Amino acid sequence: MFEFIVRRILWLIPVIFVVSVITFVLMHAVPGGPFDAEKALPQAIIDNLNAKYHLDDPLWKQYVDYMYGFIRFDLGPSISYRSRTVNDILAQQWPVTAMLGLASFAIALFGGIPLGLISAIKQNSLADYASMGISMLGLSIPNMALGPLLIWIFALRLKWFPVATWGSPIHVVLPAITLGTAYMASFARLTRASMLQVIREDYIQTARAKGVKHTTVMLKHALRNALIPVSTIAGPSFAGIMTGSMIVERIFAIPGIGKYYVTSVGNRDYPVIMATTLVFALAVVFMNMLVDISYGILDPRIRYN
Amino acid sequence: MGMERRVRRAEKQKAPKPRSLWRDAMRRLIRNKAAIVGGFIVFSLVIVAIGANWIAPYGYTEGHIRDNYLAPNSSHLMGCDFMGRDVLSRLIYGARVSLAAAFVGALTSFLIGVIYGLVSGFLGGKVDNAMMRFVDIMFAFPTLLLIILLMVYFKSTFSVIEPGTFRGFLSGLDRSMGGMLFIFIGIGITSWLGMARLIRGMTLSVREKEYMEAARAIGASRTRQVFRHVFPNILGPAIVSQALQIPGFILYEAFLSFIGLGVNPPTPSWGAMLNEGYIGMRSHFNLVLWPAVAISITLFAFNFLGDGVRDAFDPRQTR
Repeated sequence: MFEFIVRRILWLIPVIFVVSVITFVLMHAVPGGPFDAEKALPQAIIDNLNAKYHLDDPLWKQYVDYMYGFIRFDLGPSISYRSRTVNDILAQQWPVTAMLGLASFAIALFGGIPLGLISAIKQNSLADYASMGISMLGLSIPNMALGPLLIWIFALRLKWFPVATWGSPIHVVLPAITLGTAYMASFARLTRASMLQVIREDYIQTARAKGVKHTTVMLKHALRNALIPVSTIAGPSFAGIMTGSMIVERIFAIPGIGKYYVTSVGNRDYPVIMATTLVFALAVVFMNMLVDISYGILDPRIRYN
Repeated sequence: MGMERRVRRAEKQKAPKPRSLWRDAMRRLIRNKAAIVGGFIVFSLVIVAIGANWIAPYGYTEGHIRDNYLAPNSSHLMGCDFMGRDVLSRLIYGARVSLAAAFVGALTSFLIGVIYGLVSGFLGGKVDNAMMRFVDIMFAFPTLLLIILLMVYFKSTFSVIEPGTFRGFLSGLDRSMGGMLFIFIGIGITSWLGMARLIRGMTLSVREKEYMEAARAIGASRTRQVFRHVFPNILGPAIVSQALQIPGFILYEAFLSFIGLGVNPPTPSWGAMLNEGYIGMRSHFNLVLWPAVAISITLFAFNFLGDGVRDAFDPRQTR
């Protein structure tokens, strides 16, 4: 187990290397620079600015310098937000996105798994059809459509929730539902499919024959095994939720990191682009690692080697 | 006498047709009501997209300032948008963009993924290891971030008008497609990874089968082994996986157009229309409602169809 975690952490090195090189090359390949403006600045000023941000160094040196800073958690200054460092921006905006992502992920997990469980236990009943119908709807309404619909119904008509912005727990509800619904749907569908397979296994019959209570059979014997395939999509889902927050942050005017990413690409704010991409990639890899560890907890047959 | 008659009767009965995997799959697909509904919607969408010029009551750029934010009425069934353009007509033309993204995305990711997976799985060894490590690393790349970077790169590098050069050719082609070419390239580059992994795994398992050994024993060339023996046996799961991915391609296009990196205005895309609509939705909810309905119905149909295709090819799964 310990060795496994160490190996996964070492795996981060090539991942971060490749992701950072691709991002770095691509963002510098985009024509234009951070100092382009409607009214062109005099060349001397641009030269000075480039010198200040070391943008006149050869590219490989800029890359090495950046990565040297990155491993010391010094992400450099933001070019378009003059008074702020990238560390400041991440420290303020990342918790917002993480909060939204976690809330959505919780909705997906704790909504999706029970939904799938109920429809598998009561296969072909009204409850099954209803929850699979809901899942199909959730899967088919993209968050850029669901967001405005939810705002219109629950904020503008019913006035139960604020229309947009961020700040109190009640502000989290609509955006988290918007972001989490599609993943809730896929969790529900996968849980159902995998439960239906598991409850036909011999050990379930054995447990029943021994007179174990129905609920215990379902929750302890069946669900635990049914969750193994479900946990495989948990990692990718989390990554999807985190990056998907770009749209939701836009619709609900939430000051998260996703909104910053799109504007920083437009502004050629190189340090912000690099930092955001790397932090997202780290989050994805970290989440996948948690998922791999959770396999072992769910299924002791799986060995880490 | 009795014997003879029985033989004759048996001869009269049709010999059972040989059943291939494809015929079986087709039969199961046709029996699946949800998939038929999905297929019918997709089919109608294709008709609408192809015949947009005849079906749409107005052109997608046609607008008049007096019609700005016009409420739905008898001549504009869904009203008009912020530039006085007919919403229904723009929705109809928008179907073209979504469907094109679906089909071209599926095709490119299928081609790249299948070739990459086949090569990796068939060659095996060090090549396979290196190719798959690359896929693993790319999986850690947040796809949406990569696609945003790629789109900004394409849009700004190829925005020049340089007749005669390759860049000029690409940018001209992209402009004539309303900005769709680069969306296709972006989707193609970012979405083949899962397919490559799947195909590689299947190739590895097929390679160990007896019929492959037989093919090698009679001296079939490598190309023949791949195309005659491996490829047909992995095609089914590949199609299933691609069918399930199609809604994702539609979403990619809508996402890019929503954040302003997709189609060029005035080309109508449902994602772009949602973006224009949600800003003014307090007073003009129809501008966001209709594109939302259109894209949801389309995804609904493709999801049903994809589920149907999966169940048809893999009937052992209990759903």
